[in-house]
Amino acid sequence: MKLVKLTSITKKMALAAAGLFLLVFLLLHASINLCIIRDDGGLWYRNACHFMGTNYIVKVFEVILLAIVAVHIILAVIVTIENYMARPVRYAVSSKTKTHTGSKWMIWTGGLIACFLVLHCMNFYAVKIGLVEGKYTAKIDKVDAFFQQKAMKMQNGELNQKETEEMTAQLQAINSIPENKVDVKNKELVNLTKEEVFKYCGTDFEDYEPDFYTMANELFKKPIYTLIYLLVFVVLGYHLFHAINSLCQTLGCNHKKYNGAIETCALGYAVIVPLLFAVVPIYVMFIK
Amino acid sequence: MKLTLKIWRQDNAKSKGRFETYHLDNISPDCSFLEMLDILNEQLINKISHPVCFDNDCREGICGMCGLYINGRPHGNDDAVTTCQLHMRHFSDGDTITIEPWRAKPFPIIRDLVVDRSAFDKIIQEGGYISVSTGGVPDGNAIPIPKNKADEAMDSAACIGCGACVAACKNASAMLFVSAKVSQFALLPQGKPEAAKRVMAMVKKMDELGFGSCSNTYACEAECPKQIKRSNIARLNREFFKAKVVSEE
Ligand code: HEM
Ligand code: FES
Repeated sequence: MKLVKLTSITKKMALAAAGLFLLVFLLLHASINLCIIRDDGGLWYRNACHFMGTNYIVKVFEVILLAIVAVHIILAVIVTIENYMARPVRYAVSSKTKTHTGSKWMIWTGGLIACFLVLHCMNFYAVKIGLVEGKYTAKIDKVDAFFQQKAMKMQNGELNQKETEEMTAQLQAINSIPENKVDVKNKELVNLTKEEVFKYCGTDFEDYEPDFYTMANELFKKPIYTLIYLLVFVVLGYHLFHAINSLCQTLGCNHKKYNGAIETCALGYAVIVPLLFAVVPIYVMFIK
Repeated sequence: MKLTLKIWRQDNAKSKGRFETYHLDNISPDCSFLEMLDILNEQLINKISHPVCFDNDCREGICGMCGLYINGRPHGNDDAVTTCQLHMRHFSDGDTITIEPWRAKPFPIIRDLVVDRSAFDKIIQEGGYISVSTGGVPDGNAIPIPKNKADEAMDSAACIGCGACVAACKNASAMLFVSAKVSQFALLPQGKPEAAKRVMAMVKKMDELGFGSCSNTYACEAECPKQIKRSNIARLNREFFKAKVVSEE
């Protein structure tokens, strides 16, 4: 029985193409993460997050990425179920045949990655789309400009009693803001809760963004998260080693001249990329 | 050699099967695996009980009829051999040997260890041939074929259709079989005119019959008695893609 009306090869090619896109995305994600370990108080990392969070082209790619993740997971599940159904009666003795490393475990390693993605999105992406409250950051000059604008309105008598009071309270609050919430060098307010954003910047201030730098640093100070993240990167590497080999074969790339190189590249990618991801929690936990 | 055999017994396609245990003594290590089963069957017949049914014909590794799943490996624990070429010297005295039929949805059991592999024939009927009009025999040199291509086509054509690839694959996928059959024509000029039609029809049939897809575990390549290479599967994927995208079929 076939769950969807595509040939088995078409499904595998689509699965592989989606996987290829994810492989490229992982490189981008890893490079942004590495900005965290630069000793600049989060300047590069926050800038990168700002770009990723506000650029319209990136937003288009974000939708494409979500769709491709969905395609990869849905096809993977369909293909796995269909494949399981192709042998209704299993063997009594489990297979002793040598197979390509990781190839029999793809749905399990992939499934673990999927569970991790849910946790990861709860940690970060959910804050970005406003489902969960996290920590926020705002550029001081933006807060300033916003404040000046309001001050102007006050002078012109355009503010009512309530707004005037609010502004005075805000002025007082910002003068007594704790030191750890101001990044003087990079001219930013950081590590703010939503309540603090409204307290320091005004209730109608909109130019604040999630402070992923603070959130990441707080998260990786917790051993349980660092441990989960590190374990998942091992599993990811295992998924990717077979994935890259398999991807080439599925897309028809198999040549005795290049098969060795493909195997080496797959191993290289599967070791190096998860390591690049792992560097960040290790650095935050043990070195910082 | 003293052996304990656990063999799958099933009266017909519909009935429920079970493992039966048999003990054999005095088996020579020089005996072939199928000869060992012949000895067992002789003893069973002498006891007036049903012999164990298993497929075989040539007993020299060329017909592809034999095929047993022995201790977790199709054709047993030797590389690049069919079951009929497997010898008892690959086992030790006192071993327990579990023998199962090929397990795949498109290969229903007929009796005991015999499965119906006509699914393979159905795939071949969809395009595993070239259509030729009879007439004068063309001159051998009229169609130039590079030696390396001829060799590769010949290697692909070595497939005997035993079904070990399907039996070994966790997905019961027939991709190695189909890819060998598609490749042997795709590599030669004679196969070109029908290439697109052939690959699409054979893949469609393979799916219809309920074989799984390829997860590239390469278990098929590891167990193929004729050492058909996985590169055939990549070629099948290419041929399929080309047919879908480029051809006007
Ligand atoms: C960053 C995340 C991921 C990347 C980069 C990735 C990449 C890949 C690639 C390139 C392939 C090879 C396709 C082929 O066999 O030709 C693959 C296969 C596979 N992926 Fe993923 N994957 C990811 C996440 C996941 C997730 C979340 C699942 C969850 C179900 C999953 C399940 C699978 C399965 C089951 C296969 C093998 C299917 C088969 O051939 O039987 N992957 N992956
Ligand atoms: S009996 Fe012919 S190949 Fe084994």
